[in-house]
Formats: sequence, structure tokens, C-alpha cells
Amino acid sequence: MSAAVQRLFESIFGPRSGEAFAWLRGATLDWLFVAKAIFALLLTGWLAMRFQLEQPGTAMLTVSIVIHPQSGMVLAKSFYRAFGTLIGCVAALLIVAAFPQHRVPFLLAMAAWIGLCAAGASLHRNFKSYGFVLSGYTAAIVALPVVNHPQAVFDSAVMRVSEVLLGIFIAGVVSDALFPQRLGVVLRESVRSQFAHFMVFVRESLGGVLPREDLAKVYLRFVREVVQLENQRSSVVFEDAGVRLRSPRLRRLNHAFMSASTSYQSLHHLLNRLDGAARAPVRERLMAIAARLSAVLAPIESAPFMAPQAQTLSLRLDDLQARLPALIARERAGLAGRADRLDFDSGAELLLRFCDELRDYAKSYVAMAAASAVRASDEPSLRFSHSNDWAAFAWVWLRTAAAMFALGLLWIATAWPEGASAMALGTAFVGLMATFPDPLGAIRTMLVGYVLGTVAGLFCAYGVLVRMDGFVLLAAGLVPFLMIGFYLAARPRWAGLGSGFLLALLTTAGIRNPMTYDALAAINSGIAQLVGVVVAGASFMVFTGTIDNTWLRRRMLKRLRTQLVDACLRPLPGLLPRFESANRDAAAQIVANTRAGSDESRHMLEWSLAAQETGRAVIELRLSLAADAPAQAAFGARIERSLQTLARFYATPTHDTYREARDCLALAMEATRANDALMAQLHLIRLALLDKDSALAEFVEAPLEEAPHAP
Amino acid sequence: MPREIDAFDAVVPTLLFVFLASLLVQWGVDWLFGRFGLYRHVWHPPLFRLAVFACVFAGLGLISLH
Repeated sequence: MSAAVQRLFESIFGPRSGEAFAWLRGATLDWLFVAKAIFALLLTGWLAMRFQLEQPGTAMLTVSIVIHPQSGMVLAKSFYRAFGTLIGCVAALLIVAAFPQHRVPFLLAMAAWIGLCAAGASLHRNFKSYGFVLSGYTAAIVALPVVNHPQAVFDSAVMRVSEVLLGIFIAGVVSDALFPQRLGVVLRESVRSQFAHFMVFVRESLGGVLPREDLAKVYLRFVREVVQLENQRSSVVFEDAGVRLRSPRLRRLNHAFMSASTSYQSLHHLLNRLDGAARAPVRERLMAIAARLSAVLAPIESAPFMAPQAQTLSLRLDDLQARLPALIARERAGLAGRADRLDFDSGAELLLRFCDELRDYAKSYVAMAAASAVRASDEPSLRFSHSNDWAAFAWVWLRTAAAMFALGLLWIATAWPEGASAMALGTAFVGLMATFPDPLGAIRTMLVGYVLGTVAGLFCAYGVLVRMDGFVLLAAGLVPFLMIGFYLAARPRWAGLGSGFLLALLTTAGIRNPMTYDALAAINSGIAQLVGVVVAGASFMVFTGTIDNTWLRRRMLKRLRTQLVDACLRPLPGLLPRFESANRDAAAQIVANTRAGSDESRHMLEWSLAAQETGRAVIELRLSLAADAPAQAAFGARIERSLQTLARFYATPTHDTYREARDCLALAMEATRANDALMAQLHLIRLALLDKDSALAEFVEAPLEEAPHAP
Repeated sequence: MPREIDAFDAVVPTLLFVFLASLLVQWGVDWLFGRFGLYRHVWHPPLFRLAVFACVFAGLGLISLH
């Protein structure tokens, strides 16, 4: 609708006014968010006071942490936060009950628990990780303030949980029911644009050749789209019952997209390898077939792309698929040499696979967009697998526990009355920042926001609020400061600064019931919290995040290669979706955890591409071998041995293992001479193994033609 | 029913359990509405969800405290 309004706007005020309209619309949405956030925050504060909770400030703080411009985000965040809070509260009770009189074991247990939560957070990509962080943080804010009189821990737990849950509930209700900005709409747009862009991209690039650098760029774009869609899906299920029911279909759609894009990239890699003059006839014939596919995609336009067009497309692809084998046979007949035919077979195999997957993708799109009710039973459940490292998990644990314990020791050694609040805030920061790609930078931004917020909070409490009487005036005194904070939080560029500002503002203003004013205590606790943030920052300097940590990055590379080992050796059922999604997840992690454009980043992405292409070919080979019993009996052992050597090469890439893998593959091809289909698939693996432009370049000593085996 | 219930020696308001039960009922209703696509006939689904929840909670609460 907004597009129509924008056009109307342009027709009245001239063409340039469209931009102004778009800007105005963005600004309106930002201010709408600010208004909603302030309303939710004040409503929570008022209710907390009506319910006579001890610290309405905690409930208000919760609102400021949970609230987000998109309502699906708020609901997902709230759901996990509520869970995290309850679990953290139980943990706090248990820890206090276990060590009521021993401070060192108490601190150790606390540090271990908080570390465990922060480390658990590192295993997840969506708001689940947030729930983990919160269960550590809640344990800290429940147990630490009552450490000197442990009898009070139960009351403290009840109060904190009531406050936090009240904040979560109000934030959820306000953002979902009052002028909601639906994430579902964003998700639908992502799905649509993923589909439309991919089809247009295929149509435009199918006729030509993409250089390797472009392929790497395209790969990254696909990775981003896949990961983004998965993340949005996992949040929208909280917002929209329709999307929740379609969730399996969305997963299927995303999986179909991954498969199709992998095959398409493999096809381009193959065409790139056939660039010599000797191979030109093969390439031309493959291109001729690809042109047919391109023609089928021709009528698709990017902008108004809807389900009916996907429906027509899938029918046309059905039709093309029926004609493809004959087409391929005709083109193949024109080729004489055995080597040429082998290359052609591999390409044809890829084209067939791609066509099939493209149709699958179009069908999934139609199914997803269909309004009909969904039968959950006939959808196979596909999970998005993540690629996680247990060493990184242990590393995060160690970092968080060390930071906590250091703060605890400082607290004991100096008998500092504010030690507890330093520790509580340090927990929040070490835990939350561990999930950020660049924790040090994020802490620095937050720290600036924090200092500004503390100053603003002091001014607000002791310059403004002391003169105010009653809730309405209290609200009026808070609003200008909240407006600054939420406006910053609404702008992506300033979000970190804004959330630091709000956090500090609300803790420093310290809304209590009844309100007490103690400037000295407020300044003391402000200093303590700054110490907490600084120690959190220091812990990231000592126990560096992946981006500054060679050891973790080296492990990341190894894990990338292990994906191929899995593709070669793991049992087949469910392997393909797991492989495809773990590969995307790993690539997204590379992008997040290396400096963009650095040699290392490029090197790792090269490995990721190589693992993706080879792994996919290996899985397809294993699938067709498993479906063909006589071939399995005849060549199964040979091929399996070859895959084992390939897995060994990827596990420990040296010149020896490379030679072994290459020779073993040659032997396997020799053995399967009689079976064209298997031969073509083995040839694909071999071409990838011999590619001089890939990550394997340093191992490829001999050029393609001089390989020990040339059939 | 009593105003407060003894759960593991902690006195918990009965309304808390009613609240949790209403959440369950609301989830059930939400699922049914999504399953049969009934939200298409609703102007503002989130507001509707909230309203259903308020009705269920108020109803169950009144029944339980009488």
C-alpha cells in the first residue's frame, strides 16, 4: 500500500518528492517506535508501582531491553527471556542454598553458572542465545544483592522475577497489539525477493560465464539470504499463527534454495574449467542446453512476482525436464572423444540436477504461498543445522567465568559495598557481547552510551525528578530522556549507543517504590557499573573473540573441512540438508568472524566453496550408488575406498594425502568405466580436486592433462 | 477455591495458576484459528489474540474465585 501512496505523492508533488516521502515514512516509523516504547515503559512502571513491586526500575529496564521495532522480534525475545529468567532464578536459589556461608565456593559456583550460560548462548544464532545470557544474568541480580543475608534470597527471587515478567508481558502486548510493525511482512518480502532475484540471476547468467571472484560474491549473497530467512522464520513463528503452520514449508523452501544454488554454482565452476580451446565444443553444447533453461525463465520479471507465476514456471520446468534427456542425447551424439563425452556427461548431470531442483524450489514457493490449510504430517521435517565448535564453547565459558571470578575477588579483597552491582553488570556485558562478532568494538560503543546515560540519569534523577511529585510528573520528567535513548536505539547505526544509554539511564535514575533519593549511592553504583563494563571489556582483551584469535579461526577452518569428511563418511539419511545448512552457517560465521576483504577471509571462503562443491558431488554420488544395487555390488568397495582417502585429505591436507586421494579416485574411475552415470559423478569430484584456481591450488602440482590417468 | 495455594511450602496466588491455564487455552485457540485460517476474517489478529486471552483469563479467574 505504501508504494501506491508513494506514487500518489510523486504525482502530486513531482518526482523528487518520492524520496522525501520515503524518508518521511522511515522517520514516522522510528517515532512511532519511540512513542510505543515510552508508552510500554511508563505503563510497566505504573503497574509495577500499583502492584507494589520493590524496584519498578527493573521492570522498566526489562522493557527497554526487550522492545524492538518489529513485534515478532519482541515476542521471540520475550519468550526466551521469560524462560531464561525462570531458569536463572532457580539456579540462584540453588546456588545460595548450597553455599550460604562460604563466599569463595559461592562465587566459584556463580562464575561457573554464568559462564555456562554465556557459552550456551554461543551455540545459538537467534534469540535462544539471548535466553541463555539472561538465565546467567538473572542468577546474578537475584543472588548478589542478598549475599549478606541469604534468608532473603527467596523474596528477592520472587520480586525480580515478577518485575522482569511484568516488563516482558507489557512490552509484548504493546508492541504486538498497538500499531504493530509485523516481521511477517518482512519475511514474506525476503522470501519473495530471494525467489525473484535467484530466478532473474539464473536467467541472466546462464548464457555466460561467471569469473571465480564473482561466483564467490554470489555465494556470499546466497549465504546471507539463507541465514537471514532462517533467522526471520525462527522469530516470526511467535507472531503469526499462519507462518507457524507454514514453518516446515519455509524450511523446505530454504532447503530447496540451498540445493539449487549449490548445483548452479557447481555448474559454473565446471564451465569455468572447460575454458581451454580444446574443450570449447563441450562447453558450447552445454551452453546450448542451458539456453533452453534460460528461455523457460525468460518471462519472469523481478518486481511483481507472485505465486501464479511460480506455478506456471514449475509447469514449464516439468515440461522441460521431460524433454531434457532427449536433448542431451542429441547433443552428446555430436561429440566423439571419450574425454569430451565425460566432461559433457558431468555437465549434463549437473544441468539435470539443477533443473530438477529449480522446479522443486518453484513448487515449494507455490506451496508456501498457498492459502490452504497445511497438513503437517506429509511434510518431511528439515532442520537447519549449525556448525558449532566445542572449543569455542569452552573458551567463552572460561572467559566469562574468569571475568566474574576476578570481579568477585576484587569485591572480597576491597570489601567494596558496590561490588555486587559491578559484578551484576559485568555479567550482562560479558554474556551479551560474547554473541557479537566484534565484542570489543561493541563494548566501546556501549561504554560511550553508558557514560552519557549515567550523566543523563544523574541529571534526570537529581535535577528533574526531585522536583516532581506523583506518577504523572515522574513520567513527564522521564520522557525527554527516554526519547533520546529510544530514538538512538531505533536507528541501526546508533543501536548499541542507544541501548547502553537506556541501560545506564534507568539504573542510575533507579526508580524505586517509594522513590528514594541518595545521590552518593547513585554515583557509587554508577562507578561500580562502569567498573563492571570495563572488566567485561578487559576480559575480551585477554580471552579474545574469534575475530582476534588465530587459534579459534584455525579451528574454524578445520571444522569447515570436516564437513566434507562428514559428507564422505556419515550415514546417508538426512545428510544432504544437514550438509547444505551447516555449510551456509559456517560461511556466515566466516564472514562475521574475519575482517572483511582480508586474505584470510578470502582463503577460508575458498575452502568453504571447495568443500561445498565437492561435498555436494560426493553426496550425490553416494545417493545414486545407494539407489543402484548392482552398481553398489560391483564398484561399492572401490568408490568407498576412494571417498575415504578424499576424507583423509580434507581432514589433514598435505601433499601426500592429496596424491593418495587423487590416485585412488583415478583407480575408482578406471573401475567404473562401464557405468557412464557414476563415471560422470566421479569426474565432477575429480575436476574439483584438480582445480588450479580453487583452495586446493597449492596441492595441484601437475596440470589437468598430465594427471596420471586420462581416460 | 482459596485465594492462595501452598506449592512446595511457598504460598502462591491461585490466580497465577489460572493465568498459566489461560495461556494454555489461548495457545490452543490460536493454533485452531491458524490451522483453519480463521484469522483472515479478523481485522487485527494480535488485538484479537489479546482479547481472547483477556476473556479467558477473566472468565476462569471469576469462576475460580467464586
